[in-house]
Amino acid sequence: MENFSLTRSELIQLTEDTFIINFNEWIDFEPTQFIMIETETSIVRKPFGLGRWNEKLAIGVQIIGPGTNYIVQKSVLNAHGPCGKGFVPPEGKGAMIATPACLPMAFDLNKRCNCDVFIGSLEKLSIEIPFPLVIGDESFLNLLRSLEGYDWFLVIGSDQMEKVSYDVLKDKAEVFVSFNEYMACGIGACRGCAKETKNGLKHLCIDGPVLRGEEVWS
Amino acid sequence: MELRPPIVIASGVGGMGEYLKLIDPKQIGAYTLKTTTFKPRRGNPPPRLIATQDYLINSIGLENVGVEKFIEELENKVYDELFEKVKVIFSFAGENFEEYLLVAQKMSPYQGRFVAFECNFSCPNVHFNPLSNVAELERMLSELRKRLNVFLIAKLGIEGVFVEEIAKIIEKCGWNGVTLINTIRALHVDGDRIIKGGISGPVLKPIALRAVYEVRNRTNLYIIASGGIMNEQDAEQFFKVGANAISIGTALYKDPKIVEKIARMFS
Repeated sequence: MENFSLTRSELIQLTEDTFIINFNEWIDFEPTQFIMIETETSIVRKPFGLGRWNEKLAIGVQIIGPGTNYIVQKSVLNAHGPCGKGFVPPEGKGAMIATPACLPMAFDLNKRCNCDVFIGSLEKLSIEIPFPLVIGDESFLNLLRSLEGYDWFLVIGSDQMEKVSYDVLKDKAEVFVSFNEYMACGIGACRGCAKETKNGLKHLCIDGPVLRGEEVWS
Repeated sequence: MELRPPIVIASGVGGMGEYLKLIDPKQIGAYTLKTTTFKPRRGNPPPRLIATQDYLINSIGLENVGVEKFIEELENKVYDELFEKVKVIFSFAGENFEEYLLVAQKMSPYQGRFVAFECNFSCPNVHFNPLSNVAELERMLSELRKRLNVFLIAKLGIEGVFVEEIAKIIEKCGWNGVTLINTIRALHVDGDRIIKGGISGPVLKPIALRAVYEVRNRTNLYIIASGGIMNEQDAEQFFKVGANAISIGTALYKDPKIVEKIARMFS
């Protein structure tokens, strides 16, 4: 855990509002760990999952407000991390289902773990990606229904996309979900990112971000 | 109490020492632990936070393991590394007057390990507000003073009686200092969601400055100023109106290195 500055190497546009940013610096991290990035638009830092792109450290950013817009605009970002518990996949073959903003994480996981990656997007991407891509809600649901023969699933995206995915996949194999909750410190101090689970309250910045879906939704 | 530098990590924000991963301990005068209550508290249900450019509203609700478990952790050396690196302030509260006394009683054998005890009388996220009953408060202040020999600090809010009037009672009861001010009850509307909690951040600064000014003019208490200190200029203003030390809280969320930047003012 440390403070650092990251200088942008490339800004790759995926859709109208979604980008991959890769950096000149490298930090060691475990799959699904994240960093907390400072912006001028909020008094708390924002969490972004770490991954890789073109062999560099990378994050994916979907612009949803002034904070994410700031991150896309700036060439130097102050951050701390890596935060969170690294995802340790279970035995067997897995499948990761993610949105375009999670591509760097997906690329990293695909490289390190025995898993296939599937990307669900609402629109076409402006670059070629090395994973199957489906576009639109209906295609995404069909994709989920078609996934068979996996020992585990990992879902990373918006709250709604994660819940839909969990509901379709839960009877096929264990489903892990990278949950989204508002964070302030990212290091376990403030207890702000509490999540109700059937095993009690968990704090996503130290117990997560990945939890078993059935802990939260069963 | 002598703190060098006169910079305190605020209770709540600082957790149980986690920020030492990101801040040089030599730049911290004292580290206040998250408030411990008599019984364990699960805290409030999520969502617990909302932030803008100017404020943060939190509704953590004093989530903590309770004093018995905390003592067990102390004895199991969980915090030994923290004690080796910085001076530590113990923060405590109760769900009624009696519980404050019980925490003090249980912690009394351990008070020598702490540079001060901070009594949290003003958490806006719990139902009990000790500052609403001045007569009972005075009785409790005297009882706590009798039970503890440590440097005693009262953490005050501004809701209820004027803060300087409470501060005068605190001084009369033989306490050593005050932390001014705690977060204030607030509400944020976010679409269909309503988030209630305590507000902190830059919007609090003028209110906290006034509180420090009024208490300094009426008491000789040691004042730890808290509320919206985001940079060196903010810190300077609090010292100008009479603070003995400043407490950094919400600013840590934006930039943990702010502590080291402010500490340079004293090097």
